[in-house]
Amino acid sequence: MSTFIPRRNFLKKTAIAATGAFVAPYILPGGRLFAATGNRIANHVVFCLFAGGIRNIESVGQERGNLLPSLLGGAGTVDPIIAAGMDPLPDTPGSSLRSQGTLFRQFRYAQGPTGHFNGHSTALTGNYTLQDLSIKEAPKMPTVFEYYRKHSSPEQNALNAWWVANSLGPYPSLNFSSYPGYGALYGANFVQPLTLISTDGANALSNPITLSSDEIARVNEMRNNFNASFSKTGIFGDNAIVNNLADRDLLQNYIKQQLIDGVAGAFNNPWGAGAAMNDDMYNVFFAEKIIEQFKPELLVVNMQGVDIAHSNFTQYCNNLRKADFAVGHLWQTIQNTPGMANDTILIVAPEHGRNLLPNTIIDDYGQPALDHNSDETSREIFCMVVGPPGKVQQNQIVTQITGESIDIVPTIARILGFDQDIPGGMLPGRILNEALV
Amino acid sequence: MQISIKNSMKKLVLFAIVAFSLSSCKKETDFVYEVNDVLVSKEKIGKGIPKTTVEFISIAYSDLVGSTISQNDLSRVTLLYLAFGDKRLIEDLLIKNIVNSPVVNIPTEEVMRNDITAFINSTYLKLFNREPNEVELYTLRKQISENTNITPKLVYYAMMTSDEYRYY
Repeated sequence: MSTFIPRRNFLKKTAIAATGAFVAPYILPGGRLFAATGNRIANHVVFCLFAGGIRNIESVGQERGNLLPSLLGGAGTVDPIIAAGMDPLPDTPGSSLRSQGTLFRQFRYAQGPTGHFNGHSTALTGNYTLQDLSIKEAPKMPTVFEYYRKHSSPEQNALNAWWVANSLGPYPSLNFSSYPGYGALYGANFVQPLTLISTDGANALSNPITLSSDEIARVNEMRNNFNASFSKTGIFGDNAIVNNLADRDLLQNYIKQQLIDGVAGAFNNPWGAGAAMNDDMYNVFFAEKIIEQFKPELLVVNMQGVDIAHSNFTQYCNNLRKADFAVGHLWQTIQNTPGMANDTILIVAPEHGRNLLPNTIIDDYGQPALDHNSDETSREIFCMVVGPPGKVQQNQIVTQITGESIDIVPTIARILGFDQDIPGGMLPGRILNEALV
Repeated sequence: MQISIKNSMKKLVLFAIVAFSLSSCKKETDFVYEVNDVLVSKEKIGKGIPKTTVEFISIAYSDLVGSTISQNDLSRVTLLYLAFGDKRLIEDLLIKNIVNSPVVNIPTEEVMRNDITAFINSTYLKLFNREPNEVELYTLRKQISENTNITPKLVYYAMMTSDEYRYY
């Protein structure tokens, strides 16, 4: 027996050490006692940013008729004054999303400028941006993708996290932040399908050299030798996400196949909507392709066609109907995808609203256009949480002012079971428990 | 008294020996010999500036096709880069496509096999803008010689997706 530790102390310390060894593997960095994935509500979340700036007056308020039959149910009757400006759409598939979830009628984008990028950034980071953002920079606070990839247990690869944007501009930068300890390493796969899956994409990317496994091995061997002679690596550094080599092959084959299918005409009229098929609908269509192919645990897709409201109110209403149709179709695809059906929660919310008072631009139907300048009405939005019974409260409408944009990230974290692992003070919002069982 | 003097002398000698021993028993100094930090570089290749996306596309096109890419095509391909988050992936796919294009100016397999050294030298000059050193020449020549399924296209693809090709 060592003379440095009295026998009583030795026994005490041995007992503590044994207890510690038993408990330690279950204590996670966030101080939580159990693995994150053991406490999930569902294994998949799809967040649809029903964006572009939508007033509650036209959406859940139905002042111009029922422009959201997929979301709210009922017939899609439209105000006769603007009805002639509506494109015909196929029948809405399935039952309404409202009946399969919870509608927060008085949700709020409570702070910060009502700009599209600010709104997107808030929804994806769970933090309001109280000043104008630099559109050339990644968000300052971590995105939901980084929280998900970093704090899920085990850590998730990028193939499980997708940001599907309907446009370029500043939006590619929303797949990861510049926050220390997070960043590109935990970012999402970003794709803007309307540019990538295109004729230009097919011309440049659809006919790659096909390599056998032996040829791949030879190429890797040569490349390793070239790299061994050169000291610099990581050209993209922290500025881009990197998939592992196995996932890279899957993704390249996926992109190639989409391009080949596109050239073959498979995307000419995929939903039977004819000329009504707009960019929003195509963006959701390609998000569905990702869902079918990769069954990601977290996918965010946006639409912004309603922003035409700045100059054309009637087309705003028309695009609102199309966005509604797209979300209905998205939900049907999720329910028809093995592995995601009955195990996915869909969240739908605009990034912000629009002004109460119109601007001076009048459309062909005599309707004045709408901007969004941070008045109170432009902060009034809705949020819908849809999912299987037993996971999401069904057919529920929360009519009082409840919930904010910054609550969506904590809610996603709760659904996917990593909410307790996010360091304190990072997310000011709360979990939308009203919607969850 | 004599005994006392003798004892005193004895003690004095003993004291002197002890004192001498103590004074000569100096603690040995530990010397630690260090070398200054030296930056060890893998190569003496003077390439430190990464190519921008536009530069990468236009240089790759010129290297393979032998002519300048049109401004319209350059803009279109640049947009494709922006449309996907994993830039390495898109770059790799782009090079795979250019290498596979019928308009590329890549030596035939026959030319490569007839004089592998000349092929390597010219390819290094064309793509890396320098000559290979002896090790590089030996290594690649050995690889090509020993693997009959290595084609010029594979060599071009490997070089153009290497780290060095991303710099100038």
